[in-house]
Amino acid sequence: MSSVLRGIWDNTYGLLVDDGQLAVGAIAALAITWLIAQYSSEALREDAGWVLVAMVVVLIVANLYRAGRNAHRRRRTS
Amino acid sequence: MDLTTLAIAATPSFIASAVEFVEAATIVLAVGVTRGWRAPLVGTVLAALTLAVIVGTLGVALVNYVPERLLLGIYKREVAELRAQGLKKTEWDWVGTIVSYKAVLLEGTEVAFIVISFGAKGVSAMSAAIWGAVAAGVIVTGLAAAIRGPLTAVPENLLKFIVGAMLTTFGIFWFGEGVGAEWPGDALSIPVILALVLATSWASVRMLNVIVPEGAHVEARNV
Repeated sequence: MSSVLRGIWDNTYGLLVDDGQLAVGAIAALAITWLIAQYSSEALREDAGWVLVAMVVVLIVANLYRAGRNAHRRRRTS
Repeated sequence: MDLTTLAIAATPSFIASAVEFVEAATIVLAVGVTRGWRAPLVGTVLAALTLAVIVGTLGVALVNYVPERLLLGIYKREVAELRAQGLKKTEWDWVGTIVSYKAVLLEGTEVAFIVISFGAKGVSAMSAAIWGAVAAGVIVTGLAAAIRGPLTAVPENLLKFIVGAMLTTFGIFWFGEGVGAEWPGDALSIPVILALVLATSWASVRMLNVIVPEGAHVEARNV
């Protein structure tokens, strides 16, 4: 049971702190999609889903690029 | 209602329900392949029984209390710990049971919503919607059972890659639906989104190979 509780704590901490930037980016992408779907012109509203897809793609690539650069820097300094 | 008319009327319910069954089957298969089959199958049966009680007595209920990421995170951590110790799990696998239970119950509730929505027009519409959902359930479950064996031969990381891409795809699709965005072809957009997510992930892996050619343990969490 303590292992399960520790797992819950580690994952909650990881979600809110370690993955913070990615999480904020994801929330921003969802908020932008919601705003477009609710308040934009009809033509743009129909494309709101694809805007979300584009933002997720950019988030994935940017996040992994940064992770890769950080890993490369750590390996060079160690 | 003749068979052709029934088939045409059942198609929307069949397609929409098939999407839900695929989601549930993906999670159960992933848990089964990586953790063993007993616990997820028990979770699946328990969820089906719960769903029968919910639909039979309460109509519909919301079950989205425990975030899936939390459960999957715990499960990945446990597996890693056991592997590090060179051990196998001997006690009952509660995490595997809960993950499968929750996935099947949630997706099953969504199927109930779909049937109610498509069948609200009348008795014949309800009959067609039920037949569509049942057909989708039988076909997807049959396919899942058929690929269960060969799936164990697929490398675990590749399986995680595909399951992750599918969950991301469904998440994008349903969030868009939820906020009122329109997808061209409705559920037919899902394979296109999946292709884009897979292509992006593949390109990202290639990119990491260029940035860190000597190889490194890179996780998104280490950003």
